[in-house]
Amino acid sequence: MNTSTANAPFERALQDNLQTIKKLLPSEDILTYEFETADELACALVYADGIVNKELLARLVASPLQSTDLTRLLPKKDGGRVEANEKTAENAVEKSQLFPEFKTVQTIEDGVNEILDGNTLLLVDTIPVGFISGAKLLPVRTIMEPPTDIAVKGPREGFIEDIKTNMALVRKRLKTPALRFETLRVGKQSYTAVTLCYLEGTSIQSVKDEIKKKLQAIEVDNIPDSSYISAFLAPRKHSLFRTVGTTEKPDIFTAKIAEGRVGILVDGSPIALTVPYITTEDLQSSEDYFISPFTATVFRFLRLISLFVAILLPAFYVSAQLFKMQLLPLGLMLTIASSVRELPLSPSMEMFVVLLLLEILKEASIRMPKYVGMSLSVVGALVLGETAVSAGFLSTPAIIIVAFSGICLYTVPNFVETGSLLRWLFLLVGGALGPFGIVLLSAFTLCYLLTADSYGTPPLAPFSPLIKSDLRDAIVKFDMQSLSSRPAFLRSKNKTRLKVGAKHDKSENK
Amino acid sequence: MIMNYLQTTSQNDGVHARQIAFFSAFLLPTYKLLEAPSLLARYAKGDLLLPALFHFFLQTGLLLLLLYASSRSEKTLLSRMEERLGKWSVAVYIVYALFFLFYAVLPLLDLEKFVYAIFYDTSPTLFSFAFFFILCGFVCTKGIKCMGRIADLSLFLFLLPFLLLLLMSLVEADASNLLPFFERPLSDTGKAFTYTTPHFSDVVLILPLLGNLRYQKGDGKKITLGYATGSLLTLLFLGVFYAVYSTVAPREHYAFAKIAQYFPALTIVGRVDLILVYALCIVLFFYTVSPLLFSAYCIAKPLKTHRKTLVAFCIALGAFLFVLFCNKYYNRIYELIAGKLFVIFYLIADLLPLSLLFLSKRKEQKNNA
Repeated sequence: MNTSTANAPFERALQDNLQTIKKLLPSEDILTYEFETADELACALVYADGIVNKELLARLVASPLQSTDLTRLLPKKDGGRVEANEKTAENAVEKSQLFPEFKTVQTIEDGVNEILDGNTLLLVDTIPVGFISGAKLLPVRTIMEPPTDIAVKGPREGFIEDIKTNMALVRKRLKTPALRFETLRVGKQSYTAVTLCYLEGTSIQSVKDEIKKKLQAIEVDNIPDSSYISAFLAPRKHSLFRTVGTTEKPDIFTAKIAEGRVGILVDGSPIALTVPYITTEDLQSSEDYFISPFTATVFRFLRLISLFVAILLPAFYVSAQLFKMQLLPLGLMLTIASSVRELPLSPSMEMFVVLLLLEILKEASIRMPKYVGMSLSVVGALVLGETAVSAGFLSTPAIIIVAFSGICLYTVPNFVETGSLLRWLFLLVGGALGPFGIVLLSAFTLCYLLTADSYGTPPLAPFSPLIKSDLRDAIVKFDMQSLSSRPAFLRSKNKTRLKVGAKHDKSENK
Repeated sequence: MIMNYLQTTSQNDGVHARQIAFFSAFLLPTYKLLEAPSLLARYAKGDLLLPALFHFFLQTGLLLLLLYASSRSEKTLLSRMEERLGKWSVAVYIVYALFFLFYAVLPLLDLEKFVYAIFYDTSPTLFSFAFFFILCGFVCTKGIKCMGRIADLSLFLFLLPFLLLLLMSLVEADASNLLPFFERPLSDTGKAFTYTTPHFSDVVLILPLLGNLRYQKGDGKKITLGYATGSLLTLLFLGVFYAVYSTVAPREHYAFAKIAQYFPALTIVGRVDLILVYALCIVLFFYTVSPLLFSAYCIAKPLKTHRKTLVAFCIALGAFLFVLFCNKYYNRIYELIAGKLFVIFYLIADLLPLSLLFLSKRKEQKNNA
């Protein structure tokens, strides 16, 4: 875009403006509809074809203007003389409109950006401003339950790709004047809307400032998904661990905002981001808050144990065979010994092959069409698994262990990518150094996590640093009444989120 | 309070009194579970609790004096020391940097032997242990703040496995093995006391953390309680250890890793107690790194060097080379340090820190008033 032309204000002559816009937007999908008012004043609508509701545009913008005598709408001074200036002319146009979403822009650049965003620019001859009507009609899918975040109990709505719909879903749940949306544009070519959502007075300013600073510093052509933004927001670029929370569900998103986090919605992505993020969030599910705290605690412990099993079991199995047989009970050791006796591969190599098979099958089943996926699982389970065992390439315990580890990992869906990589790492050190390597890598991982603060929040909080009040909703889940304060690690100034027995403000006012 | 902590520790080396308490309660006892029980049993037999008790009384007294020194000003001990001594504070830092390296010798050699004995049924190469020094280097780059957070985490990593191991070992324990009390002559108890001085010189490890603490009311109680908890847990273990092994106790090295193996259920489910031992080992690894971390801190702080990573990895490399070349002389080094050079511990670990008592006058608040 030629910036000098684009930054210029609108001209008085309609045709001059149209020519400038045509120069800036020469694409064939940018259309112009020219017409005249009742007093023969030339007007034009400029819009992008396919993303505008033309019917609304005709009915609520063009048609009223065509039947309006603009000079009649201009204010008159004493004696009936018309007071004609830019401001009064603008007001006259606005009065003639029936469209509820209507605003003015002063420069051509703003007008062009609005056109690209799906809005329509109305230009009237002799008036040097542009009028924007929000007759956007973008193709959007319906709101449905997100496939990655299914809950048996609780709300089933999920975010979609349209940011306005997502903002509405958030507003629907947080009907407070403290809820703020701040939209920034990111992407040199895509000019994607990225909206910060937070509760004023609850979220902390330093986090908001840091996010804004990072978003403004992004220089990238295109933002196809929120994961791009998440990569730019992460304090450590090469970290194996997530530093930004993600969710597809508005109920989780609003709950996190209400706790004091800052949410980020990205146009074109159904995945919303939340900052700051701690590792225990992965172990929590939205359902935990809709069932009894005891059951929720048991489920969380199950997830935690599953996570450890998923990451460490293959490594311990290999290291037990190679370095420390005592780890296995005698009966099991004999069973394993008989099944691995004639294997051509070493225990670590065998586990490596089985794990590789699992990862390949997983990757292929995600990418393949559904009807092929069915046959793929048959090939994977029967042909590869069963035949490999009967042919003596692999042992049954190794397949059981990898299968179990694979299932366990999916109890914590948000940790699958990291867990998968960690499993490889642990397998590598378990095969090379035995249990010592596993313990050493565990210590190393913990030490890394202990100091990998993001946005001033330690990822292992509330365990380290120990925050007693936040332990009530970490692994062990206390009842609702006990969760009276907002998480301390978020450093919110507004600490109280629940007062048991407190009267409602409105009733107090009465 | 936690908000202040989060804000301050994200920027500097500040630690919380709770972290010092946890460090004393859950990190310091881990090293005492390795060789100290068999050493104490070798000299003091059934009276092994006595020398341990003497050590704890001595260390608690020292800790109380240092806490008193710390409570006398709102500034940290180290900043007061730097203000008072000026350029000479560099010398103090260097002395302690060297001392911490000296302090790390026995834990490193012990850990190496322990790893080979407990983690392997096979005979691993020396280079298997070399990977431990990568962890050392990594932790050393992270500073005092990291050790504070490790202390917090050690509550979960140490307490539950330790108590479970202790419970599982009770099935074989016979408390009458500890009787009669005061059976051994005082000279033997004295010998056990001096030989285990390197294992029980705890306060010097607390010193760098305490030196960075901005003392607040009630901190002294927390830290003392933490140290008392650690001492109690150690004494409890020593008691159970002798109750289980009795006369063969002097030959039972690294007892905590095998003390629970007689638990009946283990014959069915396998050595699951080793999982608990491994959890404790994570804490043990962090304990072993701590003197190296403090040494790196003492070198980097006065020199105001920005090359913390270089200092950290130089120390880790030095420690690795030492273990590589000296592991053969384990017994001689042990004899030298525990039998002859233990005086250094009394001088630098116990007496020198007491000079901090003379650092400052009354609280600044009172001065202002």
